[in-house]
Amino acid sequence: MMGRWRYWRLKTKLLFLTLFTSALGITLVCASLIFVENQNYRKQLESELHVIAGILAEQSAAALVFEDNEQLSSIITSLKRIDTIRQACVYNQQGDVMTSLSGRPQGQCPSVGSSLEVGFVGDVYQLLMPVTLDNEVVGQLFLSSHLEVLRGHIRTFVSVASGIGAVILIALVFLALRLQRIVSEPILKLSETAERIAQDHDYSIRAPVSGTDELGRLGNTFNEMISTIQQQNRRILESRDSLERIVEARTSELSMANRELEAFSYSVSHDLRQPLRAVEGFGQALEEDCGDQLNEIGKDYLKRIRAASVRMAGLIDGLLVLSRVSRQSMENQTIDLSQMLEEIAEELQDISDDVPTEILIQPGMWVVGDSRMLRVAFQNLMANAWKYSAKEEKRIVEVLSRREGRWVAIEVRDNGVGFDMRYIDKLFVAFNRLHTPSEFGGTGIGLATVYRVVRRHHGDISATSQLGEGASFVVKLPVSGDQG
Amino acid sequence: MDGHSILVVEDNPDDQVLAVRALKSASENSPVIVKEDGQEALDFLFGNDARQPCKDLDSLGLVLLDVKLPKVSGLEVLKGIRSSPLTNWLPVVMVTSSDEPADLLNAYRLGANSFITKSINYREFTEQMKLLARYWLFVNKVPKAGAVRSF
Repeated sequence: MMGRWRYWRLKTKLLFLTLFTSALGITLVCASLIFVENQNYRKQLESELHVIAGILAEQSAAALVFEDNEQLSSIITSLKRIDTIRQACVYNQQGDVMTSLSGRPQGQCPSVGSSLEVGFVGDVYQLLMPVTLDNEVVGQLFLSSHLEVLRGHIRTFVSVASGIGAVILIALVFLALRLQRIVSEPILKLSETAERIAQDHDYSIRAPVSGTDELGRLGNTFNEMISTIQQQNRRILESRDSLERIVEARTSELSMANRELEAFSYSVSHDLRQPLRAVEGFGQALEEDCGDQLNEIGKDYLKRIRAASVRMAGLIDGLLVLSRVSRQSMENQTIDLSQMLEEIAEELQDISDDVPTEILIQPGMWVVGDSRMLRVAFQNLMANAWKYSAKEEKRIVEVLSRREGRWVAIEVRDNGVGFDMRYIDKLFVAFNRLHTPSEFGGTGIGLATVYRVVRRHHGDISATSQLGEGASFVVKLPVSGDQG
Repeated sequence: MDGHSILVVEDNPDDQVLAVRALKSASENSPVIVKEDGQEALDFLFGNDARQPCKDLDSLGLVLLDVKLPKVSGLEVLKGIRSSPLTNWLPVVMVTSSDEPADLLNAYRLGANSFITKSINYREFTEQMKLLARYWLFVNKVPKAGAVRSF
């Protein structure tokens, strides 16, 4: 039952509740009135009959003593005028019927004995009263009265009461409808408004509010909440707009900086190289054309000048590659890393020294990334492995890969001189070198470039080594190649 | 040696001297004409240069064109050479000191015959010049300028 209640509309609930309570009240009032009326009427009837019986008994006492039947019958007959009297009988001392009310169909006089019931018996009220004369019982008087009048009375009462009840109920229905409108209408409107706001996300809608009662306050509070939401929305939109403007401005600043950087590195590559080439070229020309006029010291100086210019050219090249991997746009694709490493190893062997070399490249390594950039990175790592193992009796370069969660880790390992782990911080920083130029040549840009490439792939690089025991570089790239 | 000349368009005086020296060591008898910027080169090729009239075009066998030139860039000179029927047959070798991938692609798109990066090592540069001169002047064949006009 409770379950069904819950699905009723608020309107219905209110109406039902009002009507049910009122109907119950009216019914209770009517029922109690009827009950009280009934009781009163019975009491009244009882006392009336007793009075009548008392009078009759007094009048008929003498006639009974003298057995004056005529007198008795005339006394009894006088009762005919009273409608409610059903029967009246007079008994002598022996209990014989002396006279009775004739002309009444129910007119059998009951025999007087212990079995005679008095009081209300069914539809009938019965009364037996002793007739006394000078405190001596001379006979008995029996009266019986039907309750038809009472019933008629009650019936009238009930119909009047139910008539009034019906009128009150109808009036109540109207009242309840009004009441329901007063109470439920604002709530319904509020809920409609809430629904519309939720559906259209239109926070400019307001619920209609009337009155200052609890419902009015509810409506006002609701509207205030909606206003707050509207304001917050506006603020969010405004801040989003301003963020977008900031991002736009930053983006254009960045792209301008990028273009400037590009122009810068373009001119660096042209303009810085040109004088170097002149230094080197005229050095060579000097040596070739005027070499006879130079002594050994002069020739040595000349050699140093030319070597320095070649080194500087290498530095410029390295910086150009570094700037290129920093600004180039990425084109991610699936790359056969094993094949790429084989190609790099081949190139290195072509230009390399006479150290016997063993290369172990795990076949079937695949990564996702920009192939040009990754080639630059692995060229650097492999070239490092080559360079720093050039003083070994036999060079061993290994490349392995393994899966580490969402990363693929590629390890490039050599058996060269390694580096001191104390300086690991400086390893991936441009122009920082862990070896002197007389030990191993280099620009100090290679690993910075590798680091930049790996970072642009949202990956990571780490290195471990022990002096004289070789070095191991581990590049971690995201498996799917997604941006982070 | 049939005396085909080489036009070198190079703005840097040092590079001019070095290039001429390298080319001379490759082919002593080939005249080397040097122009300092793109505009000068175009004027020379299309006969607007009063000092050196366009008859030189007949004997021209190779143009060595620096990518980066003042006023009119090397690539624009190349475009000019390729857009005229008088000059579009000329072998043009682009020479650069940097290996900008964009330059390389654009040069070939505009019809360069070759593209080389000047080596920082002068010995290697000389080798490059020797190879170029030997190939373009002696191995390769070009039409006569007079023949070009009659077609």
